Amino acid sequence: MGTKINFTVNGVKRSVEIQGWERAIDVLRDYLDLTGTKKGCDDATCGACMVVINGDAKKSCIIPASKLDGAEVVTIEGLCKGTELHSVQKALIDAGAVQCGFCIPGIVMELYALYTKNIDATEDEITDKLVQHFCRCTGYEAIFEGAKLAQKYLKGRRI
Amino acid sequence: MEFKYIGKDIPRPDAVKKVTGKAFFLADIKLHGMLHTAILRPEYAHAKIISIDTKEAERCDGVVKVVTGKGCNFRYGDNIRDLTPMAVDRVRHIGEPLAAVIAENPYLANQAMKKIKVEYEPLPVYIDAREAMKKDAMLIHENSGEFWHLPGIGPIPGTNIANTYTLKKGDIEKGFKEADVVVEGEFYYPYGSCAAIEPHGSIVWFHEDKTIEIWSSSICPFIIREDIARVYGLPISDVRVHIPELGGCFGYKSDITVEQTIAYIASFVPGRPVKWVASRKEDFTSTLLGHGIRTIMKIGARKDGKLTALKTTVYQSAGAYADTAVHILIGATHNSTGVYEYPNCYLEGYSVYTNTPPVGAYRGYGHEETQFATERLMDILARKLNMCPFELREKNYLGPGKKTSLGENLWESNGDVKKCAEIVKNIVFSKPKPKQDDDYYYGRGFAGLMKSPKGAPFSSKGCYLKFNVDGSVSINMSGAEVGQGLRTVVRQVAAETLKIAPERIRVYTEIDTQFSPWEWQTIGSMFTIQGGRAVVRACEKAIQKLKETAAQVLRCDVDMLGYDGEYVFLRHDPSASVAVSQIAQGYMCENGMTIGEVVQTTSDCRLPRYSNPDANGQGTMGVSYTFGAQACEIRIEKKTGKIIIDHFVSSFDVGRVINPKQLRGQVVGGVMMAVGATLYEEIKFDSQGKILNPFFAKYRFPNIKDAPRKYTVEFVETPEEIGPFGARGIGEHPVIGVAPAILNAIYDAIGVEFYEIPVTPEKIKQALAEKEMI
Repeated sequence: MGTKINFTVNGVKRSVEIQGWERAIDVLRDYLDLTGTKKGCDDATCGACMVVINGDAKKSCIIPASKLDGAEVVTIEGLCKGTELHSVQKALIDAGAVQCGFCIPGIVMELYALYTKNIDATEDEITDKLVQHFCRCTGYEAIFEGAKLAQKYLKGRRI
Repeated sequence: MEFKYIGKDIPRPDAVKKVTGKAFFLADIKLHGMLHTAILRPEYAHAKIISIDTKEAERCDGVVKVVTGKGCNFRYGDNIRDLTPMAVDRVRHIGEPLAAVIAENPYLANQAMKKIKVEYEPLPVYIDAREAMKKDAMLIHENSGEFWHLPGIGPIPGTNIANTYTLKKGDIEKGFKEADVVVEGEFYYPYGSCAAIEPHGSIVWFHEDKTIEIWSSSICPFIIREDIARVYGLPISDVRVHIPELGGCFGYKSDITVEQTIAYIASFVPGRPVKWVASRKEDFTSTLLGHGIRTIMKIGARKDGKLTALKTTVYQSAGAYADTAVHILIGATHNSTGVYEYPNCYLEGYSVYTNTPPVGAYRGYGHEETQFATERLMDILARKLNMCPFELREKNYLGPGKKTSLGENLWESNGDVKKCAEIVKNIVFSKPKPKQDDDYYYGRGFAGLMKSPKGAPFSSKGCYLKFNVDGSVSINMSGAEVGQGLRTVVRQVAAETLKIAPERIRVYTEIDTQFSPWEWQTIGSMFTIQGGRAVVRACEKAIQKLKETAAQVLRCDVDMLGYDGEYVFLRHDPSASVAVSQIAQGYMCENGMTIGEVVQTTSDCRLPRYSNPDANGQGTMGVSYTFGAQACEIRIEKKTGKIIIDHFVSSFDVGRVINPKQLRGQVVGGVMMAVGATLYEEIKFDSQGKILNPFFAKYRFPNIKDAPRKYTVEFVETPEEIGPFGARGIGEHPVIGVAPAILNAIYDAIGVEFYEIPVTPEKIKQALAEKEMI
């Protein structure tokens, strides 16, 4: 017999029965079909599984599923409004930061959480967040440029 | 030549799906009735299997079947059929499949797998090629002489040698006699992992109607299809392979890797699809590793700097199965000249079975491993000759009128390494380097490089093109999009050729052998050249068909017609015209009668005259080369030994820039990957063949803080003859000169010669201590 957990994902209330072995990522991907959150490693190192839980960017591969109970979760599927991309998504595309695309959802969520809390994050603060994300394709140049462009887009919107 | 779409930053057609999490990768696929498998890996890297007890595992919750290799009687492979899908009576490396549990979910499969009990009789373990080559070494494959293999390659029976390759050009003894100076060294490029962020995975479904359907994170659906069909005795057409989005490849998702194992497991539960996704640990231990190449190189030169002779011996620790390794060794050996002409060469290579996971393709495919030696020795030779290293190189660069080691003639259209070198030199070396200060030593290093495609003579890439009734175009190909951006290239090449806006050309997403044209595999940085040429051919055929219909409509001869993307018109009187949208699916007359063909075309493209090696190891095995040069400015922190790359500069003769933003992305991404190999990454084994660091936390994957502080990328455009609009390959090239450029810079900074990578801070500190510099 499983345990029920109740939480909000991308603004929608969900109730899921878990067996006890699942991590947050398993609930999102396997039970709720939110497969935009990716798994790239076994030891919470690569950052591909980053989601936003109660406003903080968290690696969903190490959080026990039971911790989702009562939480408010935003995943990559929650950012785009219809066909209108979130500024972070648009900026990463414009900067050429998207190659294979496997690490990108995690990076989007990281930057979304960062700029929601601190739109004026410095370059060092941005780097300190991005250092948690592995990318094999880009050499990080376009990702960093995309992160700065996202900040610019978001600030432009705010004015 | 003026271009409308070539050379422009056209956006990637797949970017929005990827950035919204809606690009579907293998792990994201769910099928009705799908089962999951967990695979047991051995405790020993080399051992006889005495017994496997699966009883307890079979009783576990949710378990459908437990599978072992007992009775498995086939081998597979594309080059040497030395692989089995599961260990039969012996394990030969630490990641080998030993048994598998099929269960209702991955968790239950894993739990049950832990209950399998295995008895082993350990055997001697060989990690390095030269250990395994010793006379008294135990044979890793006792019957290697019986393995099927491609002509011209194959194991030497009674040894652990899986393949040898020898190239002779000129007279090596004469070459060294003519030399005034000789330099030599032994260099090592250790095991690494391509480590794409998406791990490998496969789903295999044996259907009740005896057809087989496969989904895999692979770049070679057609090889998988052919090999699986052969093994299970089916017509190739009864095996269907789907390739979803791929989260990076960098080499190790080429050739057939995990698919035969998952198919073998799934064959025990016909009617239900079986899914497996590698853990990161398995991605390290049980797919393909890279490199494992030791290069012993000797170069002879005259006093004036003219090179006279090159002797190279390459030892490749190929792993327990050499199918995927043998061609890397051949490429590594004949490309060990680097970007220089030697009148006399004796180049030999050995692929050797070892008790390590199989080595396979890694971006660069042998080039970076041996040109690491070439470019380090070029600096060492210059010092011995007391000559400027740039002058030494300039005297010997390959170029028009020169011959490669393979005996191929080079022409102006093969590209201009001198220009690339000049650009890089001017950027990095035109001002004096900073003097050491309290905190840092400063250094600069350079490397020239070249790459040949190293494919197969029969390799081809197909293109299906169809015009839609509104004049928009759909293009279907089998180039695996792994992030390199080939879909954008297809779109741009087609737009330019068809004179249609890129937004009106939709390119394929997934590959499906049921619908997609045949392609050998997307390797060797050859998609732009071969695939691009195939696109041009398909477009030209389509234009011809449009004209044939228009000729009927306009009542004239085909050769009197012009085409501008929107209309086909009479060249001498463009007012007589018919719209492309009116003839794309035939022309309908007023009474409904329709004439002319539906405009849909097919094409493909091989490399011209690509051959197998002749008796001297020579032949047309290069065909298309890309030349380039790379250099860096580094700082070495005295306190920590840490190397900081302040500036990394690359220049390549790409023939034609198709998409500047994507091209820069390829180059800086390649540089970063090779910086990782040079300074951080290494798969470490203990003496018993266990991998000590099969986790990202311990396999030092480079992050944003390790990136060069600044990248400069400059392109030379000497159009080549085969590629579309003169373009040539670039995907792998940016990794080739990185290690030697950095190690040459380290010497420049602290006067220490390194011959192996990775050069970690500990090694730098040790070297500084030995020199009493700290």
